[in-house]
Amino acid sequence: MEKHLVLLRDGRTLIGYLRSIDQFANLVLHQTVERIHVGKKYGDIPRGIFVVRGENVVLLGEIDLEKESDTQLQQVSIEEILEVQRVEQQAKQESDKLKVQALKERGLSIPRADTLDEY
Amino acid sequence: MMSQVKLTDFALGQGWPNMLKSLEDCPLDEDEEAFQTLAEEDDDIDQFNDDTFGAGAVDDDWQEAHERLAELEEKPTSSGEQEDQTVTDEMDLLGDHEENLAERLSKLVIDNELEDPAIMQAVQTRPLVQQSGGLNSSIWDGPSVLRRITGPLLTQEVPSVSVLEYALPQRTPQAREEEERDVSERALPRRSSSPVIGSPPVRAVPIGTPPKQPTMPNFNQQILCPKPVHIRVPIQQRYPSPFSDSMSPNQLCNVTNSSLLGHPFPPSITPVLTHLQRAQLLGGAQAGRMSPSQFARISGLVSNPLASMDPKLLQGRGGQMMPPAGGFRAFFGAQPPPVPPPQHHPSPCPGAHLQNLRPQPQMFRPDTTHLHPQHRRLLHQRQQQNRNQHRSLNGSAGDRGSHRNSHQERIRKDPYANLMLQREKDWVSKIQMMQLQSTDPYLDDFYYQNYFQKLEKMSAAEEMHGDGPRKERTKLITPQVAKLEHAYKPVQFEGSLGKLTVSSVNNPRKMIDAVVTLRGEEDETKEKQVRDKRRQTLFTIEKTYSLLLDVEDYERRYLLSLEGDRLALMEERKQKICDICDNLRGKMPNQERLSDDPFVQIMCIRKGKRLVARILPFLSTEQAADILMATARNLPFLIKKDAQDEVLPCLLRPFSLILYHLPLGTVASILQQLMNLPQSATVSASTNLHLTAVLQNKFGLSLLFLVLSRGEEVQSADSTSELAQDNQWTELMFMATRELLRIPQSVLAKPVTTPSNLVSLFSRYVDRQKLNVLETKLQLIQGIR
Repeated sequence: MEKHLVLLRDGRTLIGYLRSIDQFANLVLHQTVERIHVGKKYGDIPRGIFVVRGENVVLLGEIDLEKESDTQLQQVSIEEILEVQRVEQQAKQESDKLKVQALKERGLSIPRADTLDEY
Repeated sequence: MMSQVKLTDFALGQGWPNMLKSLEDCPLDEDEEAFQTLAEEDDDIDQFNDDTFGAGAVDDDWQEAHERLAELEEKPTSSGEQEDQTVTDEMDLLGDHEENLAERLSKLVIDNELEDPAIMQAVQTRPLVQQSGGLNSSIWDGPSVLRRITGPLLTQEVPSVSVLEYALPQRTPQAREEEERDVSERALPRRSSSPVIGSPPVRAVPIGTPPKQPTMPNFNQQILCPKPVHIRVPIQQRYPSPFSDSMSPNQLCNVTNSSLLGHPFPPSITPVLTHLQRAQLLGGAQAGRMSPSQFARISGLVSNPLASMDPKLLQGRGGQMMPPAGGFRAFFGAQPPPVPPPQHHPSPCPGAHLQNLRPQPQMFRPDTTHLHPQHRRLLHQRQQQNRNQHRSLNGSAGDRGSHRNSHQERIRKDPYANLMLQREKDWVSKIQMMQLQSTDPYLDDFYYQNYFQKLEKMSAAEEMHGDGPRKERTKLITPQVAKLEHAYKPVQFEGSLGKLTVSSVNNPRKMIDAVVTLRGEEDETKEKQVRDKRRQTLFTIEKTYSLLLDVEDYERRYLLSLEGDRLALMEERKQKICDICDNLRGKMPNQERLSDDPFVQIMCIRKGKRLVARILPFLSTEQAADILMATARNLPFLIKKDAQDEVLPCLLRPFSLILYHLPLGTVASILQQLMNLPQSATVSASTNLHLTAVLQNKFGLSLLFLVLSRGEEVQSADSTSELAQDNQWTELMFMATRELLRIPQSVLAKPVTTPSNLVSLFSRYVDRQKLNVLETKLQLIQGIR
C-alpha cells in the first residue's frame, strides 16, 4: 500500500491512500491528512476520506516511504503549523498589497487571482 | 459436460451470421412482444374506460387482463413442449428437486444442442479448442457441487421473500450460481444501455403491473433496477447494441445456455448471463471499453459484504466469491445476510473451486508494451507479488519471504485494499494511455521528443568519450496509430425533411455553423494598403516564419518519406524557399525591379532580423548574396534602427558562412556597397558618411572585417582572376584602409571577431608606419574587448 500525495489547484496538499481513480482523475483518498508546509516545517491535519473531483488535481504522485523518512523537514504540531502558516500568509498579503500599490502608482494593474480563475 | 464447454468456445467464433439466425430462431422473443403490445393495449383501454366512466368504474379489468395473460402463457409456442417444461420447471424450482433438475438439464442440453444452428455449424467447421480459462467447468461438473453452492443460498433466500424478492425477477438456482461465479469476471453492459443511467425507454410498463416472470426476459438490468419503479424492456434483443460487435447476446445466450451450462431455460429467459459470459469467453478483450461504473455497480458494491467474510478470501480481489444476493441487497441498501465462506462447506476438494474462481492471470494480463519501462517493471513486480500471495494462500508452493509476509499483513490489516479491480485499473490506465496515442508524435509531443533527442545525443557523446557504463535511459514509448480520416456522414432517410441529429464524442453536435469565406486576394491587398506599413511588415514576417518552419520540417519529412516521394518533397521545399525569398524582398508577382524598402522594413523589426538570420542558411548562394548586398547597402539605416535591439550581430555568423561561398567579384561588390560607392569606383569625397557609420558599429565593423578578410583570401589564393577585378579589389582595399586610419580610435567600434589575417592583409596596402598605427588601433580594440 503506497501513500499518495495530491496537490490540489488551491494549493493544498493531501496525503493518503489512493482507493480509486477514474479517467478524469477523480480520486478517492482514504486516511487522508492535509499537509501544510511552511519553510522547513510541516504539519499534518487528519482529514479522513477525501473525494476529489478530477479538475482540482494538479499533481498526483506516489510517496516513496524510504525517501520520506530521511527528509530534512521537521514535523510540528497542528497548532504550531497553523500559526506559522497564518503568519506567512499575512506577510504575503502585505507584500502583495505593496506590490499592487507600487504598480498602481505606475499605472499598471495585475488581475486578481480569483478573477483569473474563472477562465 | 466438458465437451459442452468446448462447444461454446468455438461457437463463439461463428460471429454474426449465426447470430442473425439465432435472432430469428428466438420464438419467445416475438411472443413476448405480442404480449407487451397486449398489455399496453390493455392499459390504453383502462385509460379510455377511466376517461369515459370515471376512475374506478371498471374495477375488474385488471383481473381480466391477468386471465388473458395466463392464457397467453399457456399457449403452446413454436418450441413446444420444451417451452412448457421450462415454465413448469421454473414454477417449482425453489423446491428441492435438484436431482431431477440435473437430469433434465442434461436431457435438454442435448435437445438444444441439436437445435441450435450455431452449434451445429460450429461442430462441423471448427475443431475443438480448449481455452476455457475463464469458464470453469468444475463447478458444473455434477449435482454435488451444484448443491453445495446453491443449497445455502436457497435456504436463506426462500424464506425472506420480501418486496424486493417480489420485485426481482425470479431466478433459478442456476442463474444465481452463474452470477455468483461471474461476479468478478463479468462484463456489464455499456453505460449507455444501462437502465439506471438512461437508455432510451423502449417500453415503459406502468407501475403496478403484475409481475410476469416466466415471459419476462430476465436481464441483468432488471436485477439492478428495482422493479416497482420503472421497467424498461431491454433493447438488445431487437437491436443489437453497438457493444455486441463480436456476438449478439442472444446467440451467446443460446449457446451458453444450451451447451455450456446445460441450462433448461429458453434463450430469452436467461440473458442475464450474456454480458458476463461474453466477457469471460472473450477473455476480457473488451474490458477496455467498459466503464468501471459498471463494475462498480456489481463488483464494487459486492465487495462490501465481503468484508465480513474470511479475510483470506478477500485477498487479491474483492467480489469474486460473492453470492449475488448479498450484492444486490447491498445495492438496494439492505444489510447483506451473513454468508458462510465457501471454505467451510464440506466438499471433496477444498479450495478447488477457489482456484477456479481466481482470476486467470494470463487471461487478463493487460497489454503493457506502451508503458514506461520502469513503470512496467514495477507493475510486473507487483503482479508477481500478488501471484505469490495467492499461491501461499492456497497453501501450495510458497516461500514466504519476510517482506512478502509484511506486505500481506498490511493488506490484511487494510480492509479497503484493492477496492479497484485490476481490470478497472487497467481500464483507467488504458484511457490515460489513449491520450498519448498520436499519429505524429513530433507534432503532438514536440518538447518531449526534442528533450529525448537531446538526452540521446548526450549519452551518445558520453559513449564516444568512453567514460563509464552507459546509463540506461527510460523512454516513454507512445503507441503510434495510423491516421484515420473519416468524414462523418449524418444518417439520412429517403424523403425525410431535415437531418437526424445524432451526436457522439467523435461527431459532436454543431453549435455554431460558421461559414469560412475566403476573401479574394484583391480584397486583402486593398485592405493591406489601407493599413499601415508596419502592420503589413509584421504580417509578412509572420507569414515568412510559417514558411520557414515548414521548410525546417522538410528534413524530417524527407527522412520519413518513401523513396518515390522525395523528389516531389525537394521540389516543394525549393518552391517554399523561393516564396520566402520573395517575401523578404517584397517581390510582387509581376514586378521586375526590386526596391529595398520591404526588406529594410523587415530588418527594422527585431523578429525580422532574427528571421533573416534563420533563413539565410536555407537560401541559395545568389539569394543569400542578394540579401547580403541589400543589408550592406542599407547598413547605416539599419544600424540606426538597431540601436535599441542590438540583434544585428546575430546575422554575422550566417553572413560569414555565405561569404565563404562567394567569388571575388561578389565580395568586391559587397564591399563597394558597404562603402557606399557607385558601381564605377571613382574616388569619393574625403568624408564618407556611410563608411563612418559602418565603422562605428559593432556589427558594421565586424562585417567589414569579414568581407575584407574573405576578399583578400580569395584574391591571394586565386591568382588567375581577372586583372580588372583585381584592380577593383585593390582600390577598394586602399579606400577601406584609408578610412580605417582616418577614423579616430575613440569612435571605432569593437568588432565581434577580428579575422587573424587582418594585419598581414593591411600590410600590402600601407607602409610600415601606418601599419603600426593600424595594428595598435585594432589591437587596442581587441584589448578593450
